[in-house]
Amino acid sequence: MAAKDRNTRDRAQRGASGKKIRFADRWQGYKSHHRDTIRVSLRKLLSEPLQTLMTVAVIAIALALPSALYLTVENIDQLGSHFESSAQITVFVKKGAKPQAIDSLRAELDAMSGVDSLSYISAKQALLEFKALSGFGSALRDLEENPLPAVFLVQPAVSEPIDMGQIKRLMNKINSFALVDDVQIDMAWLQRLHSLTEMGHKVVVALGAALGLGVLLVIGNTIRLSIQSRRDEIIVIKLVGGTNAYVRRPFLYTGMLLGVFGALAAAIMIYASLLWMSSSVANLAELYQSQYRLQGLGILGFLGLVGLGGLFGLGGAWIAVSKHLRDIEPK
Amino acid sequence: MICFDNLSKRYPGGFEALKNVSFEMDAGEMAFLTGHSGAGKSTLLKMLMLMERPTSGNLLINGKNLNRLSNSQIPIYRRQVGVVFQNHQLLLDRTVFDNVALPLQVSGYPSSEIGRRVRAALDGVGLLEKEQQKPIALSGGEQQRVGIARAVVHKPRILLADEPTGNLDPELSSEIMALFRRFQNVGVTVLIATHDITLINRMQLRIMHLEEGELTDDGAGYGR
Repeated sequence: MAAKDRNTRDRAQRGASGKKIRFADRWQGYKSHHRDTIRVSLRKLLSEPLQTLMTVAVIAIALALPSALYLTVENIDQLGSHFESSAQITVFVKKGAKPQAIDSLRAELDAMSGVDSLSYISAKQALLEFKALSGFGSALRDLEENPLPAVFLVQPAVSEPIDMGQIKRLMNKINSFALVDDVQIDMAWLQRLHSLTEMGHKVVVALGAALGLGVLLVIGNTIRLSIQSRRDEIIVIKLVGGTNAYVRRPFLYTGMLLGVFGALAAAIMIYASLLWMSSSVANLAELYQSQYRLQGLGILGFLGLVGLGGLFGLGGAWIAVSKHLRDIEPK
Repeated sequence: MICFDNLSKRYPGGFEALKNVSFEMDAGEMAFLTGHSGAGKSTLLKMLMLMERPTSGNLLINGKNLNRLSNSQIPIYRRQVGVVFQNHQLLLDRTVFDNVALPLQVSGYPSSEIGRRVRAALDGVGLLEKEQQKPIALSGGEQQRVGIARAVVHKPRILLADEPTGNLDPELSSEIMALFRRFQNVGVTVLIATHDITLINRMQLRIMHLEEGELTDDGAGYGR
């Protein structure tokens, strides 16, 4: 056949075909296709309720564990800052200081910026207190002189969050007075708490990473099984001109839905356990005359958890889809 | 419309399914492809579906060389081809309507358009009243007609069929063939692989014959 002949015929056919789809229609079709895909994915998940429930439960536990640990660490942090605001500096006065000198030291301390309030315990008072509280009263009676120094208790003016550097500077300044023997602050345990919560944060990240990987694998495996059970469907779709993106889409939505459902279930678990613990925490706080209350996820935490769940779901599905869909070609 | 140019297909392992096959089909032409099992009929159709790529030679559709199509362009190409399978390849968990709608859905047609076209296609094969049934509830002949409706719903320019009457009795077979004739009459190029010799001999149409991968008779000119 002559090439020219073929060309004229091709052009005629192109003109007569007339089955171009308008862009607006295509966009409409695309949108409704996405809606339908989500609906179909949802229906497929609900049609196997037990399987879906188990997958969602595994995802929920894997997401709830690091989230709960994160909340625990955050709450301990909060607790620490509650105590920090009651941090007290103990200023030991040199022994044998004259009462006038102590008075002028008191005035000087009082005038310092960064000092909120202070109280004075004389050496005699301290001894009486010690006798009364320690139970060594009779032993102390044999001492020739009072071994205890006079003490100022300084309450630093602090603002939240606590600036340890600021308190350290204040302590150094007080220490530079000639009459001051030593300055101490009982914050060692707070610092320990700080490093503990810091470590806790790191554990949260490590645990979160490990369990996040678990979620990826669980969803990836679920999607892999789903791909295998829908093999025929995939082949038919490819045969009638479905693109890889079209084939991929329902699986990605399924993964995302699983992740979101898992995150919602995890949020419910966390709220339930907070609810369960809140009354005992309130009781404990009352014993310490504290207004301390457990901190929950909050709106942002909730949205973050659900978003993360969806993202993990999408990621897991993506891994499974990119690994297994390529193998399914019509033969 | 279809032009095989010295096309060969050799599978890994050395089996030559097609050997230097050359033939042409005009637009609106209908032809049969015969030969024993393993003669290369299915392979030839797979070439036209781009399920296989030729080892050598060219395949031109509407003047376009399919060798030059990348893998990502395959879906777009397949949308201008309709295929009917012997085992009909219907999705059993979907209704007749949804099965037929599939080629339109993957091409991104709006749902109103899909409804109209699917009903037109089902009407064409006489199954309009069964649109909400599952394929499993239909007889073999009806299932095959659903497969045909799905193959033509997007108005392809080429219609391929692999043993479309393989499992049907003679009466149903000639019904199916009459359907194919109707599509040919509206300008579709139809190529049917079959070994139902008695049926196609009655139809007075072009018959191509494959033997061990070689086209021994291309039947050109017959019945035109």
